[in-house]
Amino acid sequence: MDGTKQSGLVKFKDNLFTVKDSLLGSFIRSGAPTSDRSRTAIMFNNFFLHVQTVKTHINTLRPSYTLGMGLIALFLMIIAFISGIFLMVYYNPSIENAFNSVKDINFVVSGGKLMRNVHKWSGEAMIIFVLFHMTRVFYTSSYLRGREFNWLIGIVLLVLTFLLNLTGYMLPWDQLSYWALVIVANIIAAPLEMTDIMGVTKYFDIGGISKELFLGGLVPGKEALNRVYLFHIMLLPAAILIILGVHFWRIRKDGGLTRPDKFDRKDTDTTYITPPDKTGDIFPTYKTYGLMELAKGKTPAVDNDVENTVLSWPNLLIAELAVMMFTLAAVVAYSFYIDAPLKELANPAIPENPAKAPWYFLGLQELVGYSAFMGGQGIPMAALLGLALIPFLDRESEHTGIWFSNKQGLTVTIISFIVGTVGLIGTLAFTIQYGWFRNWWPNIPQIVIVMINPGTIWLGFVMIWSLATIKITGSTRMGAIALFTIFLVSYIILTYTGTVLRGPNWDFFWSQSEWPIH
Amino acid sequence: MRVFKILALFMAIALLLISSPDFISAQDEDAEYDDAAYEALLEKGKEYYNARCEACHGADGDGKGFVDIIRVSEKNGRVLEIYPRDFTVGVYKFRSTATGCLPDDKDLMGTVKRGITKSLMPPQDNISSEETEAVVEYVKSFSERYEEEDPCDQISVADPPVWVASEKSIEKGKKIYKDMKCWECHGDLGKGDGPKSNDITDDWGKRLLPFNFVTGELKRGSTAENVYMTFTAGLDGTGMPSYQDTLNEEDRWHLVSYTLKLMGLTESDKKTASH
Amino acid sequence: MHSRFYLSLLLISSLVLMMFIGMGVYREMTSEWKTYQTEYKNMLVRNAEDDAARKRAEKLEIGLRQNYVASLNKSDRCMSCHIGVENPYMAKADQPFTLHSGDYIENHPVDKFGCTICHYGQGRATNKKEAHGKGHTHWDYPIIPTKYIQSACAKCHDYKMLQEEGAELVVKGEKLFREKGCRGCHKLNGVGGDLGKALDGIGSKPRAYYAMKHVVGEHTAYNWIKQHFDDPRAIVPTSEMRVFMEEDESDLLTTYIFSIREEEMPSKYRFLKNIVTPPRDGESLYKMFCVACHGSGKISVYDEIFDRTIPAITNPPFLRSADNKTIKNIVMEGRGGTQMTSWKTTASGLKEEDVDKIVEYVASSRTYERPEPFNYLEFQTNIDSGMRLYNNRCSYCHGKEGKGGNRQLGINLKNSTVQQVLDPEFLALTIRDGREGTPMPSFGGDGLGLSDQNIADVVAYVKTFGKKK
Repeated sequence: MDGTKQSGLVKFKDNLFTVKDSLLGSFIRSGAPTSDRSRTAIMFNNFFLHVQTVKTHINTLRPSYTLGMGLIALFLMIIAFISGIFLMVYYNPSIENAFNSVKDINFVVSGGKLMRNVHKWSGEAMIIFVLFHMTRVFYTSSYLRGREFNWLIGIVLLVLTFLLNLTGYMLPWDQLSYWALVIVANIIAAPLEMTDIMGVTKYFDIGGISKELFLGGLVPGKEALNRVYLFHIMLLPAAILIILGVHFWRIRKDGGLTRPDKFDRKDTDTTYITPPDKTGDIFPTYKTYGLMELAKGKTPAVDNDVENTVLSWPNLLIAELAVMMFTLAAVVAYSFYIDAPLKELANPAIPENPAKAPWYFLGLQELVGYSAFMGGQGIPMAALLGLALIPFLDRESEHTGIWFSNKQGLTVTIISFIVGTVGLIGTLAFTIQYGWFRNWWPNIPQIVIVMINPGTIWLGFVMIWSLATIKITGSTRMGAIALFTIFLVSYIILTYTGTVLRGPNWDFFWSQSEWPIH
Repeated sequence: MRVFKILALFMAIALLLISSPDFISAQDEDAEYDDAAYEALLEKGKEYYNARCEACHGADGDGKGFVDIIRVSEKNGRVLEIYPRDFTVGVYKFRSTATGCLPDDKDLMGTVKRGITKSLMPPQDNISSEETEAVVEYVKSFSERYEEEDPCDQISVADPPVWVASEKSIEKGKKIYKDMKCWECHGDLGKGDGPKSNDITDDWGKRLLPFNFVTGELKRGSTAENVYMTFTAGLDGTGMPSYQDTLNEEDRWHLVSYTLKLMGLTESDKKTASH
Repeated sequence: MHSRFYLSLLLISSLVLMMFIGMGVYREMTSEWKTYQTEYKNMLVRNAEDDAARKRAEKLEIGLRQNYVASLNKSDRCMSCHIGVENPYMAKADQPFTLHSGDYIENHPVDKFGCTICHYGQGRATNKKEAHGKGHTHWDYPIIPTKYIQSACAKCHDYKMLQEEGAELVVKGEKLFREKGCRGCHKLNGVGGDLGKALDGIGSKPRAYYAMKHVVGEHTAYNWIKQHFDDPRAIVPTSEMRVFMEEDESDLLTTYIFSIREEEMPSKYRFLKNIVTPPRDGESLYKMFCVACHGSGKISVYDEIFDRTIPAITNPPFLRSADNKTIKNIVMEGRGGTQMTSWKTTASGLKEEDVDKIVEYVASSRTYERPEPFNYLEFQTNIDSGMRLYNNRCSYCHGKEGKGGNRQLGINLKNSTVQQVLDPEFLALTIRDGREGTPMPSFGGDGLGLSDQNIADVVAYVKTFGKKK
């Protein structure tokens, strides 16, 4: 035999002994991140990291700019996903066993109670941080310069977050779940009010049909639970993952996070900069450039000095890791002390008084108190539509990347905040004190109340207020700020009213301790 | 035009004269001193008495009419036995005069008109005040006390002080309630179930139940003034003494506050009730 | 310095996270039941009589104990803490280790019956607060207080056996339930009056069913029922319930109330040797349905709760003027506008033969001398004169419009029974002779001196009430 030729067994032996290096090498292709080159390579060789740019602008890294809201929302979602899988092992989606299996998670499963709390609180915190993220994006005008579409995707994600939370709320099948389900079904059936007014319910009962589709029957039962479970563990998570992927991809495509056109570096920023790894003249000899894609809009490389960017590895990744740890620690700490609520087994014969939707929908429920159709569907649709249209109605992109645009923007925000707070509290106080049309003229046609109620009046006022701001300031951006500020204030005040100030029979109370029945 | 003016003037003067209380009482006094008119009044009173009062109070006013004992089952289940008042003795519970005195005519007339709710003596508010007066005169004629004794002066009640039924006053009243041993009959919580409540009899040896503040209403009316009058004048013939000499005026009002509290009639009680 | 900001954030967060995970593990390790089981094990080892027993004790595994009874669909984890409940050596130990009292557990082994089937509470819970379901634990059926525990026995056993073998409280309660006339107002199994709520399944009603606002102490159904028996109006201010308890009667009745449950036990658990039917003679039926309002029926009493006079129905003067047919008519039709509801089979579920028995019992004290008859039809009546007489003589007790009630001594003359069922002669007799034992005086003859003609006039006038609206 040819001596140079190794036997197959020897080759196999060599391969076996080098398996550690070759295996690791196939995992970590670019070697240890010791040079700029390898740090760069690691970013675009890794599937999970390549959605981020190799170099990150310093502005993006400043905690005072993003406040880390989007990241926190993302990590909350991941925490909720992982804890949710854990819960799914024990949960049994049938009306006979759902409640018992949740009880077992609480009492028997090791760490089950903590895990349930983590799942519940991370999910609900997600709503808050998605809204915070949206607020940040809005006040830094980050919906402009090609990012209009991503703003729309963000709104879809907000709706998905609400839906995920809502469907999860119904799974334990306790009194809270059951009566929240009833209320949500009634909100879904809200068009009934309109068809009743038009007298066509008999022929075209769109509200009733939607309700029946949602519940899988006329009353909440095992069909409804199965539907809700399917949505909660499959359709909605799949949807949110896919759309979230698009959301990140669009960030990359739209040129990363926004930043001011005129960027001043601060002394503190120097800590990010590692000494450049220059071995050639103008271009490092080992670098080669190729045209990858023609992208619309401004990329980090254009216009601005490349020096304002730093390598993502390690600067960005450390920041992300820190935020992740912070989120995880905060959620676990909160869950350690505060237990997720679980009331009695669902009992259709005993309505909760007051039967309340989950807290994030109580703003809606407050509006539903005036008119089921307007409060449950009309006004929220109008609000979502208004939010979605903001990037298309305001196209002043010169302030992009600056909090509140300029001094005027801050003023408009503060004034709108005050006007929104005082105006809405005034409207609610008036309604609570003096009632509404139905109390004054019992025989008034319902259509008048649907059209003119505190909710629609407030909606009209918000529109007029934004238009007036546009007229006075001559800037559509200011109008958008006015609109968005009042939207936020309204959501918070209405939610607070619905959560804290409403007691049995939806009557007004200063606090729960004053409820007539405890 | 002038004629109308004079006419209007006359009418005004006439109205003034009629509505003036002096004018009426002047007439009354005349009536009292006139024997013949008095006899006529008694006759009228008797007629009325026989129709409406006799069934319970008896033809001779001795409280032994055909109706006999009236039994009332209180909300707490105890049965109150009511004997119609014996007019021949001339002892009355609801007076505005000092304890031991004869009642004022106005007291009797008020009782006839209002009725006594808990005892089921019906109110007679659909009859004229003349008839009431007549029947009161007739009722008085049953008792010899009216011939022997002079009427006492009415005790005047000022308007209740503003602090009546206030938190502080209720607290003070509660202490007095304890110190004056009101609870021995009326019970710690005013339910009429004190330790002595089963052994109380009236001056004629008939069993009495102490007043239950919680479920009852006061027979003479549940206002602050009436409660105060009960403390001041006492209820003659029953175990309820007068506190005119043992408690000063302020203390009596404090006790009124606590009583109102027990009866659930203070402002704050009404607020919670309406909730 | 931002980089350092992120690094320190990372460090602090990681430390906090580790701390809380550690605390979570610690909490898991030192849970209530583990502590109790360790204590129990130590107790066994310490008190072991010989080496073999000590070895056995040392082998005792510490772990969650669950008792799953498939046919009852119950998983009870009570023995995780109450671990000595079947150990005779633990007779003198303190809770939670003590042996079950009495000989109940010999006949009801834990592995076959579980715990919550009798005691209630949350069997799945593994800490005291939630297992006992006390306080705001969102559990509908908290553990039954020991004084009412016998209510659970009646789920499977008949009353004869309960009486003989140590559950006499619930038997007494059941007897009280019959003799206090609860069914006069409350339906049970479709039989009873209409004034109160039906009592079917009352023992299984969840906590939210009760308005707890006025309940003193812990807000449980047990306290509600007990305090409601003691003073109905202290718990429900508008209650019309007439129930007056002596000493421990309210506890006994509460025990019985919680034995009326919706849940049906599997037949192999039920132990019904002797079916005891409660007596259904006239007296028992009278007590069951009538006694709550009418009492002995000897005297008539104005009632502050009903705001009207409850007539005496067994006193001889009434029976003298009312024959059995009249009484039965009144019972069957009820008296409209009063608390006396109709006792027809369709309304009350009571059989007609039972009504006959009640009427017979009511009439049993009749002295057989009929009164001198009153020939109403012989008189030419004058309604105007009747009205004058009525307004003068009757209206202060019966009211101007004859409605009675509302702090008026007389009964309602306007209701359909008086107007349609009772014949004029009966009314005239009542006016003439009065009713002994009631406030109704005799108006005729030697009494208040109305002539027969006058009485006939009044009767004629009274009969016109039914025609007016």
